Amino acid sequence: MHEWYGGLASFLLLNVVVGLLRVLRGPTPADRMLAAQLFGTTGVATLLLLAPTFGPALNDIALVFALLAAVTVIAFVRRSWFPVNWEGKGSHDGD
Amino acid sequence: MTVTEWCSLALTTAGAFFFFAGTVGVLRFPDVYTRLHALTKADGLGLGLIVLGLIVRTQGWTEVCQLALIWILVMVSSATACHLVARAALGTGVRLWRRPG
Amino acid sequence: MIRRALAFAVLWSICTQGEMSSWVIGGPTVGAATLASVVLLPQRVWHWRLRGLVRFVPYFLVRSVLGSVDVARRALHPRLPLAPLLVEYPLRLQDDLARVFLVNTVSLLPGTLSAELHAEHLTVHALDGGVAGVSAELEVLEKLVAALFGTPLVDSFVKTEAARA
Repeated sequence: MHEWYGGLASFLLLNVVVGLLRVLRGPTPADRMLAAQLFGTTGVATLLLLAPTFGPALNDIALVFALLAAVTVIAFVRRSWFPVNWEGKGSHDGD
Repeated sequence: MTVTEWCSLALTTAGAFFFFAGTVGVLRFPDVYTRLHALTKADGLGLGLIVLGLIVRTQGWTEVCQLALIWILVMVSSATACHLVARAALGTGVRLWRRPG
Repeated sequence: MIRRALAFAVLWSICTQGEMSSWVIGGPTVGAATLASVVLLPQRVWHWRLRGLVRFVPYFLVRSVLGSVDVARRALHPRLPLAPLLVEYPLRLQDDLARVFLVNTVSLLPGTLSAELHAEHLTVHALDGGVAGVSAELEVLEKLVAALFGTPLVDSFVKTEAARA
């Protein structure tokens, strides 16, 4: 049973590696960010699958992953790439 | 193997399949908007199925709550992130792909 | 404020699976989260109508599973069946929180993705289905969200007419 979970976890990691192709190809910054989001979700799934074998501490790490992935994408979109306010106009001045 | 173990096996495998479909979509789809569809929806269900597959084999209810919370958090954050990326792409003038011809 | 603090405390105990020793960190964290939420969203807390919830949850679960299956099918299909389009959907939902909720749920339903929320309409990217099909789906969802939040739907056409008069 645990071997099967481990096998699925490896398969998901392989998915992430293949997904890296999208980061390399782009072409827009959005495409690259999207791949980062893919890593977030897949990373959580991988950790959860490994938890039965390596202990419930991995669930806690998955929880942190879930939160950090969201913060990363939001920070990227709001600060570095498309820093405008909700009205869709005006500049962003370090709020 | 018990019935619960079979259920867990089937659910987690189905979940991994959706992750696979999501990655294929991210690589094959023609523009950032369509790729966002693939990522948000396929991976969301993939994670949901894996979480469900792990829930059926857990004993304590606290772990069930924790796993469900992880899934809800990922769904909420990926829907929000997906909207923000699409919005930024639209705002910076990333063109929409249309079938040629 | 007490209700919010209680909600955060429940969330923390789920995260830590009820581990008592974690409250050394959890106590201050719950306090900080409550403070942040009161500062950022002072007006009111989120509340859902039970009857709305009973109708919304099954619809949402079934449709979002279908959405994932649909997108997986398109991704794996050799000919890549896509006919993407942007739909400008005139919003009838007025409440801010309900609108944010709608924006997020749209992205999880079959073939649709919220691209931009404007004052009077929502720009939606769809994989397929044409303007009429996508609008019909959004209308159903908007009604369910309105029932969930217990807020009225105001026809934007009627509203602009009223503004002109």
